[in-house]
Amino acid sequence: MIANLYQPINGEIVEIIDESPTIKSFVIVPQSAFSFATGQFVELTLPGEGEAPFTPSSSPAMTEKMEITIMKAGRVTERLHQCTTGQPVGIRGPYGKGYPVDDFVGKHVYIVGGGVGLAPIRSLFLTLVDRVKDFKSLVCRFGARTPADFIYKDTLFGAWQKLDGVDIKLTVDQADGNWSGNVGVVTTILDPKDVDIDNAVAVVCGPPIMMKFATIKLLEYGFDPKTIYLSMEKNMSCGIGKCGHCMLGRYYVCKDGPVFTYDQIQKYPKIWE
Amino acid sequence: MLEDDNAGTMRLETIGWSEWDPLTRDRYEMERAFISRVKPFLDAVAAKMDLYIPRKVEGHYVCERYDAGKHTAPEFNEIRVCTPVKEFLFPLRELAAVFPEAAEPREVRPFAVFGLKACDLRSMEILDKVFMEKDFEDPFYIARRQAMFVISSDCSAPGESCFCNVLGGKAYPEAGFDLNVSPVEDGFIIQAGSSQGKSFLSTQASLFGDVPDDLLAERQGLRDEVQRQLEQANTEFQLRAPAHEILEQRYESDVFDEQAETCVECQACTRVCPTCHCFYLYDTVQKDYFAKMKMWDSCMRVGYAAVAGGGNPRKVLGDRLRHRLMHKFAFFMERYGVDMCVGCGRCVDAEAGDVDIRVVLRKLSDELKGKGKAVAK
Repeated sequence: MIANLYQPINGEIVEIIDESPTIKSFVIVPQSAFSFATGQFVELTLPGEGEAPFTPSSSPAMTEKMEITIMKAGRVTERLHQCTTGQPVGIRGPYGKGYPVDDFVGKHVYIVGGGVGLAPIRSLFLTLVDRVKDFKSLVCRFGARTPADFIYKDTLFGAWQKLDGVDIKLTVDQADGNWSGNVGVVTTILDPKDVDIDNAVAVVCGPPIMMKFATIKLLEYGFDPKTIYLSMEKNMSCGIGKCGHCMLGRYYVCKDGPVFTYDQIQKYPKIWE
Repeated sequence: MLEDDNAGTMRLETIGWSEWDPLTRDRYEMERAFISRVKPFLDAVAAKMDLYIPRKVEGHYVCERYDAGKHTAPEFNEIRVCTPVKEFLFPLRELAAVFPEAAEPREVRPFAVFGLKACDLRSMEILDKVFMEKDFEDPFYIARRQAMFVISSDCSAPGESCFCNVLGGKAYPEAGFDLNVSPVEDGFIIQAGSSQGKSFLSTQASLFGDVPDDLLAERQGLRDEVQRQLEQANTEFQLRAPAHEILEQRYESDVFDEQAETCVECQACTRVCPTCHCFYLYDTVQKDYFAKMKMWDSCMRVGYAAVAGGGNPRKVLGDRLRHRLMHKFAFFMERYGVDMCVGCGRCVDAEAGDVDIRVVLRKLSDELKGKGKAVAK
């Protein structure tokens, strides 16, 4: 019999980290070593409850466990947030193509992220940092609703800021008393002088509205649509290009994506909805 | 709906009609045979495996399991049955996975379906492309596909909604069957289309007579006549260019919104469509295990493309109709090289509203004329 593509491998939640009021990270140990490329996604099953697609936020170099950062957004994620350590889960995948990291070599990598969109970006960031000398620079521009809404606060406000070859700027929509940084949506901290646009790629991941306006801004600054990489998170169900839910024009986001260049998808209507 | 008691694989050869002396195989290898009544033929098939046959109910055909004692005068269906053939290969709902312990798949028993038409065989080719795609094989589909003995037949009179010829189809099967049955004046010609079909004819040779050339000529005459009727009935639906070109060029047409106005979102079009294959996976709690189920879904459903965060790229009905037709004719063609529509007309019959795929295609085609891009097919 051909292997059953719908059968998850078993895993267990071994640690749960509170990231923000609505976001938690789950450290999951799969029954057997699990490899993925950064930007690929997995289908995570909460047995008896349901399944949803998530891009792991951990480095692909770590195969004995993975981290998945999850925002409470629907029924399955709501239930996941109620889970405690020891909870059995199922994992299918990895699916899709992920970020073409090798194509970024020799270029500035301009990473624009917002909210829980920092989850896939963290995995990419860790991958790029491992070989940071391969790139001209890693320039990150991240936004969150409030300072409390930033995820990965410890590293984001600390260790990552001190890395060689990395330039990180943060912004919030609404500040609180302790915030001394920029206030405004993420596009307010994008500057055409941040990178040499003719020798740069941009990576955008975040809520659709943020991705839309960040893309518009990047195009305005002169980024070629072929150099803007977007993480299109649709409602991937099967993960293997059959069930149809995630179709974006001719593409199955699960199989052909979830990372697309703007050039690939710009002709389709309502891509941000 | 048909029962889902299948999962696993078993090739027909292992238990089929291969019990003849291999030394005499060549001598008895039969390409085609004549039989005056369909009943003894069906009895011979049913003696070996479950057989499904058509039965007419209020003007339409449905499928039911053949019972040699009960079905004293089995019907020959003029056109396709209502039941899309996908029900045999990819049932409405099936068990996709069990955990924590993966279950051994249940065995698929060989089964036969009688009365499939050329459009049904084309729909199977299309589903094969999706579910047997290299590296993405669906084990449940493949198990059933391999266990299925395909008995097709010529259409003897086109139905009101049949339009296969508009999309390059014919009223008689040319490939993709194990056996094909063609009605002629005094009986039926049975043609083998696979080694399994030939084996069947050979091992059951005592049931059959020879097929002289004049009988083949008669079959061709009947086929040509039905094809002519089909062409005549669809004169008004002829397209000015291949369907995928029309859709690609008229993607932004208002026709989708206009035509979707009478849609009541019953989703019947996608249920009866033999090529629509969207599904969703959902999880359930059983007594002592958890199950992941796979169930048909419909891209015409409003929440179909919605995501947990609230986004939905196709909230508007016309956008869903556009996507459905783009998928069928443009996206599928680009990916797999064929239209994802066989012109069977089931959606036209089933539709609770008034959306007629033939009319939508023709209106889009007419718009090409206005744009001066008409292309003769």
